[in-house]
Formats: sequence, C-alpha cells, structure tokens
Amino acid sequence: MLLEQLINGITLGSIYAIVALGFTLVFGVLGIINMAHGEIFMFGAFVGVMVTSTLGWPIWMAFLAAIIVTAILGYMLERFALRPLRGKKGVSHLAPLISTIGVSILLENLSHHLFGAGNHPFKNAFAEIHFTIGSITIYVVQIVIFVISVVLMMALSYWLSKTRAGKALRATAENLDTASILGVNTRQIITLTVVMASAMGGIAGILVGMAFNSVNPQMGLSMGLKGLAIIILGGMGNVKGAMAGGLILGLAETLIVAYGDSGYRDAIAFLAIIVILLIRPQGLFGQKTSEGRP
Amino acid sequence: MLGDFLNPYYLQVASFIMINIILGLSIYVTLSSGQLSLGNAGFMGIGAYTSALLTINYDMPIVVSVIAGAIVAGLVGILIGIPSLRLTGVYLAIATLGFGEVIRVFMINWESLTKGAVGLSGIPQIGRELLKVSRDAGFNPLDIGLKNNQYVYLLVLIILVIINILLIWFLVRQNKSRVGRAFAAIKMDEKAAEAMGVNITYYKVLSFVQGAVISGFAGALFAHVMGYISPADFSYHRAVEILIFAVFGGSEVIWGSIFGATFMTLMPEVLRFISEYRYMIYGAILILMMAFRPQGIIDVPLLQKLQLSKRRGKHGSKN
Repeated sequence: MLLEQLINGITLGSIYAIVALGFTLVFGVLGIINMAHGEIFMFGAFVGVMVTSTLGWPIWMAFLAAIIVTAILGYMLERFALRPLRGKKGVSHLAPLISTIGVSILLENLSHHLFGAGNHPFKNAFAEIHFTIGSITIYVVQIVIFVISVVLMMALSYWLSKTRAGKALRATAENLDTASILGVNTRQIITLTVVMASAMGGIAGILVGMAFNSVNPQMGLSMGLKGLAIIILGGMGNVKGAMAGGLILGLAETLIVAYGDSGYRDAIAFLAIIVILLIRPQGLFGQKTSEGRP
Repeated sequence: MLGDFLNPYYLQVASFIMINIILGLSIYVTLSSGQLSLGNAGFMGIGAYTSALLTINYDMPIVVSVIAGAIVAGLVGILIGIPSLRLTGVYLAIATLGFGEVIRVFMINWESLTKGAVGLSGIPQIGRELLKVSRDAGFNPLDIGLKNNQYVYLLVLIILVIINILLIWFLVRQNKSRVGRAFAAIKMDEKAAEAMGVNITYYKVLSFVQGAVISGFAGALFAHVMGYISPADFSYHRAVEILIFAVFGGSEVIWGSIFGATFMTLMPEVLRFISEYRYMIYGAILILMMAFRPQGIIDVPLLQKLQLSKRRGKHGSKN
C-alpha cells in the first residue's frame, strides 16, 4: 500500500517537476515570475484532448501538437506581454508580474469559451494496462510519464551544461548585460527561454491528461500555483531545486490524500510556500544572498 | 414622487460600486508603500465569514459584527504581515496569493463552520434590518412614497456612501501626514528611507495591516449587502479583480483606485454583452496597461492638469 502510494507520488511529482522547470527557466533568465505558465500548460492539455479524442490521432501526435501550440503561445507571451516592458525606464518590477497575470486570466477564459467549462475526458490507448508485482499494481501510464519526465530533465540538464545555446542561456541568467557585451544575443536567448519553457508546459499538460484522464480550464491555475510553490521550495531559478521540489510536493500530496484529509491537498503547496519563505527564503537548494531578495 | 426615480437595480449597482471602491482602496494602501499584496481577497473572505457567522450564530448586531470582521482580518494581517515583510516585490505577491488560496481551501473544507462550497445563506441584510427597526419605530417607507425594496436599497447605498466618504477622507489625510510620507519614502527607495530614519518594518506592516482591515471591512459589508457568501466569492479571480481596480485606474493616487473600481463595476453592467467576456477583457486590460501606461489612467500629471484647467476656468469666469 505504502509502496503503491509512493509510486503515485513519484508520478505526480515528476509532472510537477516539469511544470516547475518552465517557471524556473524563465525566472532564471528574466528574473520574472510567469504567472501565465499554468494556463499555457492547460492549453497543452486541451490540445491533447482535441488531438486524441476529437481527431482520434495517436498520443505521440498529441505531444507534437501540444509542443507546437504552446511554443507559439510562449512566443506570443514574450512578444506582447514581456518585450514591451523590457528596457523601458520607470517601469516597476511588478509590471511583468501583473502583465503575465493578465495573460493568465485571458487564456483561462479563452479556453472557457473555446472548450467549455467542465471536465473533458482524455483518451489514450493504454490507460488501463497495468501489471502487478506481489500486491502492488503499477500502471504502464505511470512508467511512461516517469520515463518521459526523466528523459526531459536529463536532456535539459545536458543542454544547459554542454551546448553553446545552453551556456549562452546560463550566461544570460547570470548577468544579462555582461552576456550581451560578450556577444550573446540576449534577445534571442530570452525568446528561446520563454518558448522552451512554454513547450515544456505543453508536454506537462499531456502528461497530466494521461495521468488523470480529465482536463478542465481551471487546472491551469491550480497547477500554476503549485509550480510557483515548488520553485520557491527548491530555490528560485534553480533547475535541480525545481526537480527535487516537484518530487517532494508530489509525494507529500499523495501521502496526505492516502493518510490524511484529501480536502486539504491543495493547501499543502501554499502552506509550504509560507513556511519556506519564513524559515529559508532562498529555498532548499538556493544560495543565500547578502542583498536579500530583489 | 421620489419613488419613481429610484430603480432598485441602479441602487444595487451603486452599492456594489461603493463596496468595490473600498476594495480598491485596500490594495491602494498597500501599494502606496510599494508592496503588492494579492491576499486581499483572502482578507475579504475572513471579514465576510467572521461577520456573517457572528450574526447568524450569536445574533450579534450587524454594526458590531462588521467591525469584528474587520478586526479579525486585521489580526490575521498582523500575523501574516510581520513575517511576510521579510519578503519584497514578487515574493510578497506570491506568498499573499498563497495565503488567499489557503484561506479559500479552509473555507471549503471546514464544513462544520462554513458549510463548505455551498456557502452561507440567510445572512441578515443591513437594509432589511433597518427596515425592521424603522417599522418598529412606527415609520413606514410608503409615507414618503417609497416601496419597501427601494427604501432598503436606498438606505444601504446611503450608509455605504457615508462609509466611503469617511474612509477616503481618512486616507487623504493620512497621505499628507507623517505616516503617508513614510509610505511614499519606502515606495521610492526602501534603503534610502531606512537611512533617513524611517522605521520601515513598522510602516510596511502598518500599510499591510491597513489593507487587510479595509478589505476585511469590505468583505463584511459585502456579506451583509448580499445576504449570501460562498468561497467562490473570494477566489483568485476576486484578487485579480481587486488588482485591476488599482492597475487600471492608477495605483499612484487614491483617485486612481476609486475611478478604477467605479469604471470596472459599471462597464459590465452598462455593456451587457461585455459581461460574458469580462475576464478576457480584464486580462487584455492588464497587458495593455502594463505596456502603455503602467501607472494607470489617472496619475499625478493628469491630476495637476485637471486642477490647472479648473483654476483657469475659475479665473476666466471672474474676468
């Protein structure tokens, strides 16, 4: 029983980690919190519903379509909500936050109109396939989700640490002006970051659809807020922190549903934010700065 | 007769405008010391539930319970405010947003007290209670040509207008006082303000708690005007709506939030077809405002221009 719950928790946690990575990449490079990330994720999930249920195409097509749609949304987010604010004098540091809140509200209600409120079933061919080892039941979907998340995380880590573009991204995250002086096309890197983060959100959307078999317009908000909780837990802009934080939250939530009161599941993330901000504001994996928070 | 002019619907919309202005003021106060709190919907919920439960379960008079609602919201504000103010900028925004969500989750799950997602109904309404009182005193609204519901809504509106005038007067006065100047200094530059001897922690907590008290107060009034509340009334959408009041109207001057709250409440009522797309329009407004006029519609130069033209107008009429 406990082992089964742990497996559920790790599955959930690996999805959370992917969502949180999208937040952390954008925060690392731009220093802003992308409140619209949850809604972009939700759009990815809806594209999955459209492709698999309405069109009846296979699941890999859903991944492809979700990546394309969310990447376009990410580009538009950067172009219309973030770029106009950048480099403008006298703009408060809260402006990008408010602007992305605008995008999130816009997208959430757009999806209400496009897809309707309520839950949409997410079909996939192998949803019911499972096998048992001893007394433990494992669904194939869980393994698929876990493998995809791990591959994605490893690919991202490799890309960030070894490739030229990845290094440019880290340089930009370190210091935008210096990177720019040293010949990094920071504007391109910023666009690339937002697009990539959004595409990861799209992938996470499909994974959630596979895991829960249902998609609704409100899930963007709750997932987005959890993603925020995770990056605060793991340390802002910290890639490893986002992965670990995602797993911790996934496990904690599954365990509270199994052994506690399921109604309070959604409160854990926020209680965690408040506690962690008070005890260790730099996050579990973050480094302490002498300046205090920006 | 007077009764022919008073449409209960208009009176009710006007009451909502008044409540929303109070909410707009609540976010203005925290913004005036440079902090963005997204927890005002949560404080509003605390105020509303406290006041509603006190009147339903303990038969307290509405005046007492509304004040109690504001005080409880303020106490929670102190509890949240003191530790949260180690955080600045976006961190504070997220922590307060998280706080709002925690409050909502508790309101949904603490069913024995809050009746869960269904919400509380049968909350005594200010207007109806006053109608009862005036009936007992031997006064019948029909004597001055008013139907009962007209009388009720009119009374509520008058009370809310008086509350608003007092509140705005207080905040305008405060802006010109030591406290207001300290807020402005902290907003400009925290470190410089600290170096000048401003006790920034004290003033930041003060502005945060003022915001909490005002939104709790608005929530309590909301409960007793509506007569029905549910956790959905105090969700993330409410927090964003409150934020819009200040961002659209103008977050630098008090008239900004007042204008924003009035305009944003009237818009969906006047343009019915907009109501369905309301939140989409809210989203677009936030994006456009940040890109083109981050300080909001009403800012200091605009006010000065208005004052100048008014003065010129007076001058002209004298000649």
